[in-house]
Amino acid sequence: MFHIFKTLLARDPFSSSLDLPKAKFPMTKTRRIFTLLLRLLAMGATLAATIIMVTSHDSAEVLNLTFEAKYSNESTFKYFVIAEAVASGYSLIVLFISSKSLLRHLVMILDVVITTVLSSSVSAAMAIAHVGKKGNSHAGWLPICGLVHKFCNQVTGALIAGFIAAIIYLVLLLYTLHTVYI
Amino acid sequence: MALETERKTEAIFNSTPAQKQKDRILLLLRLVAFLATASATIVMALNKQTITLVVATIGNNPIKASLTAKFQHTPAFVLVLYSLLIPSLLHIYNDCACTFFVVANAQASFHNLLILVLEIVGHKIDFKGLRLAIIAILDMLIVVLAAAGDGAAVFMAELGKNGNSHARWNKICDKFQTFCDHGSGALIASFIGLILLLIINIISIAKLFKPKSYNTI
Repeated sequence: MFHIFKTLLARDPFSSSLDLPKAKFPMTKTRRIFTLLLRLLAMGATLAATIIMVTSHDSAEVLNLTFEAKYSNESTFKYFVIAEAVASGYSLIVLFISSKSLLRHLVMILDVVITTVLSSSVSAAMAIAHVGKKGNSHAGWLPICGLVHKFCNQVTGALIAGFIAAIIYLVLLLYTLHTVYI
Repeated sequence: MALETERKTEAIFNSTPAQKQKDRILLLLRLVAFLATASATIVMALNKQTITLVVATIGNNPIKASLTAKFQHTPAFVLVLYSLLIPSLLHIYNDCACTFFVVANAQASFHNLLILVLEIVGHKIDFKGLRLAIIAILDMLIVVLAAAGDGAAVFMAELGKNGNSHARWNKICDKFQTFCDHGSGALIASFIGLILLLIINIISIAKLFKPKSYNTI
């Protein structure tokens, strides 16, 4: 059975590249452990960002009107939560794919896509949070952070976690490229 | 020894006509991406609309105020200077997101142009076998940057178009129709550029993986 598996692998064009001199950078144990560690950190950061954003909730009373702030009132924050949730699910699944399997090229391409989505979600949420904090007095948009402190602080925390997750994914991408090619 | 095999295999890699056609298709995609990001930058940078509103009437003279929507942030002292004049000019700026959008797209179009020129003109320049890797890494960074710029701008545009009733933020697109139309055009062009850049990046990475003595893509 193992013999059949070996012959199947030998016919695969990817694995026959191990005979060429390009394969003098195999995935040694330290590199594999480092990659695993980075993916674990990324999963933790994205999970933290999702959870902190979802549990952000505050209400304030202004002139007998209740002013309630939830993450689902803004479409940007909904996009942020969905993007981070997808990224954390993806990290969890990829943790179980070993670095020698046939899927490692697909994993690298999907890594690029996920990094793109993560960075765009963090950037969009930061733009809207900037309007919420400083306001845009010339367009008539008042800042709301003065009314709902707890909501603002939690959103800031979620944004920091999301930013760290995007950076970790970028580092992971460059490191994977370094171990595979350079 | 490894360098010689690299150069020889790169020579084999580049010489089949099918491979040359695929390289040309890649160049064409990059050209279209460059045009898309450059047009997005230019349209958004020159995006400006001025409307006049009647603010008050004194006797028989209506006092008009001009509102200008521009993409960039105006510093405060210029605002004070302008507001002393009658009609007073109030600048509405769509804050840092639009500036970031213009900057990110400018960088993306500059990168596209650079790589285009490199591919067309600089085939003899020796990168010690690292040519594909450098292009792939730079492409990755630019894709992430352009995606960030696009994301921020599209959500700011959505806020300007629909407003946000929960935070009491009113929409501004009903007053500034042309500004919003031009902005949406720039956004669409930028998204086309981003998708093309992503496809180019994925093809470049796929080229890295395939062993070079097999001329397949």
